[in-house]
Amino acid sequence: MRLRHRIVLLLLGLAVLSSGSLALSQDQFRLKPGAKGKVCLTCHTAFQEKMKLPFVHTPVKAGNCSDCHNPHTSSHGKLLADDPSRICRKCHDGILPGKAKSVHKAVGEGNCVKCHDPHAAKFKNNLLQDGNSLCFNCHKGIAEGVKGARFKHNPVEKGCLSCHKAHASEGADFLLKAGVPSLCTSCHRTDGPSFAKQHVNYPVARSRCTSCHDPHGSSQAGILWQNVHSPVAKKMCSQCHPDPGSPDALKAKRPGFELCRGCHSDMMNETFGRNRIHWPLVDHVSCQNCHAPHASRQDALLRGPMKTVCNSCHQDVARRQETSVTKHKPIEGGECTKCHRPHSSDLVSLLDNTNVINLCGSCHEWMKHSSHPIGDNVVDQRNRNLSLDCLSCHRSHGSEFKDFTYFNAKMDLCVQCHTGFKR
Amino acid sequence: MRSVLRFVVLFPAVFCLAHPSHGAEALKLRPAASAYSDSDGKPLKNPEGVAYDGKSLLAVADTGNGKIALYAIQGEGLKPHASFALPQLTYPIRVQFDPQGGILALDGKTRKIVRLTLAGEFRGYLDPSGIPTPGTVVPRSFRIDGKGNIHVLDVFSGRVLVLDPSGKFQREIPFPREHGFFSDLAVDGNGTVFLVDSVGGRVFSARGNAKEIAPFSESLQEDLNFPVGIAVDGRGRIYLSDQNGGGIVILGPDGSFRGRQSGMGWKDGLLRYPSALHVSDSGTLFIADRGNNRVQLFTIIQ
Repeated sequence: MRLRHRIVLLLLGLAVLSSGSLALSQDQFRLKPGAKGKVCLTCHTAFQEKMKLPFVHTPVKAGNCSDCHNPHTSSHGKLLADDPSRICRKCHDGILPGKAKSVHKAVGEGNCVKCHDPHAAKFKNNLLQDGNSLCFNCHKGIAEGVKGARFKHNPVEKGCLSCHKAHASEGADFLLKAGVPSLCTSCHRTDGPSFAKQHVNYPVARSRCTSCHDPHGSSQAGILWQNVHSPVAKKMCSQCHPDPGSPDALKAKRPGFELCRGCHSDMMNETFGRNRIHWPLVDHVSCQNCHAPHASRQDALLRGPMKTVCNSCHQDVARRQETSVTKHKPIEGGECTKCHRPHSSDLVSLLDNTNVINLCGSCHEWMKHSSHPIGDNVVDQRNRNLSLDCLSCHRSHGSEFKDFTYFNAKMDLCVQCHTGFKR
Repeated sequence: MRSVLRFVVLFPAVFCLAHPSHGAEALKLRPAASAYSDSDGKPLKNPEGVAYDGKSLLAVADTGNGKIALYAIQGEGLKPHASFALPQLTYPIRVQFDPQGGILALDGKTRKIVRLTLAGEFRGYLDPSGIPTPGTVVPRSFRIDGKGNIHVLDVFSGRVLVLDPSGKFQREIPFPREHGFFSDLAVDGNGTVFLVDSVGGRVFSARGNAKEIAPFSESLQEDLNFPVGIAVDGRGRIYLSDQNGGGIVILGPDGSFRGRQSGMGWKDGLLRYPSALHVSDSGTLFIADRGNNRVQLFTIIQ
């Protein structure tokens, strides 16, 4: 009994202390008794209407405006009591799990107001909009795909949260509730004859469904990605894989580019006929470094947008462009093939034209008739083995100077060669 | 007062000795010489490979001209010695001296390693024999160690092949599971193999008879852009050519960053899109300065 009494007393004591500290925090501005949010509303009259909305943020409802705002001064916008990226997590700390495999960008950046109204909203959880329309505000590409898809995926119609978590996922990429294929197989049976027939008896029950299927719906039957590799579309899997009954049925028949060469011989012969190859094409991953073997949202079965695919290896180029004062449009737009050949070339850097001046001139037409003397006959004063071209002054992937020049144009660029004018 | 002074003087000295990265000597590269043209007087074009025979000859893979150029090293200077083109070697990208005499060169177009004499006569292709499956070999680079064994960076099958001087299979070391793309390799006097990962910006290594390739350095992406060439000196120091950044990064024998030398530029001493490099026991660094159409020599200063 005594122990029970002690525990009860201890809990009571803690309750008194915590309520005291709460009162203290609320009273730090020495408001008149009972004033609280009412004081704020005397000026912020528009809030009267806002508070009539069905879902009101708890501190707002309680009139504790000073939980989030400092009524006197602040180093943050809207007189917030802390950095906007941190303030919500003061109360909602459990939003992000300790070891999340994927985190919603807005959540990671603390940009909660992208989805939630911090005061009051028409929708549950103070969401700005209801259902998928909120998500589609940012995920426009997916929105367009969903809208235009002839074959819908039912869970998408029900709502993004059928498959995704809103804030973070502990166990899966893309905020998925579970990894693929276990998420898919929670609805789709894989042990029935229909599944086997659709997959030409290949044992794909544990394969990654999204290597062929667009989970958001598609205009291709079977919600395959928009661009399907011809053998997949024709269900001729055995062109690349051993027979479905084989113990290695899901492995490729031949390694690397040797497999692809069987059908794409013309392209391969042309590729191998040039001096310089894009080396990943002949490594152990080969064509699949850049191309999806089954289906893809992208043209040419690229694994992602060209910018993403190229930058996955050429991160230094991406960094250079990001920090460049002047942006080079093809790089920023992910059009690497405007200047480079992706498979092979006779030229260094896999350039697409024997002449740099002509290559640049294909976009910058004016360069051909109005520029500093350039061309094969104009020797670079800094190096007798080089002639002047566009790249003598410009670093095509970007620099810290305007027009991506190698040097500060006013002070250091011209005097590289015109040394007599050096100050 | 004396004890305080003693502490002030002794502590940094002891600390430096105890900590390898602090105690390491600073290395500098002093430009020594450049070669702009071959023995025919033809300007070099996009050279990508260099090798030194340890005595007096420098071989250059004059890639853009499809030639091998030889230079005699005289003091700190270079004198064009010979140059030759072969129909079997139209696009040389790597070159090595064979300790038994002759030269081996990798053709970037056919991706075959060609044997030739010092006079430029074709002696055949390196034909690896006894290789375990997969039998396809695509060399990205190769090195010959002091015993004449040929180490081939086989990117197709994801391994380093070690062949005896005749091309007979000795052993293979598979690439590690996690890596970006290996562009070059180097072998030190103890048989340790070093690989440079251009994408991950780090160095991997496999000691002597190791069966696995393991990370040797941390990621160096803060200090370099896209390394494509690697060399190791007699003291175990690693030299990396930073192709897209125009420079040379030096690592200590423990893989720690020891500095960055040279820089992007056109004038002697500077580099544009450099490729392979080689370090001699006597402290000279040779580098194929691809974007500047030349080869440069640097003296390593302790």
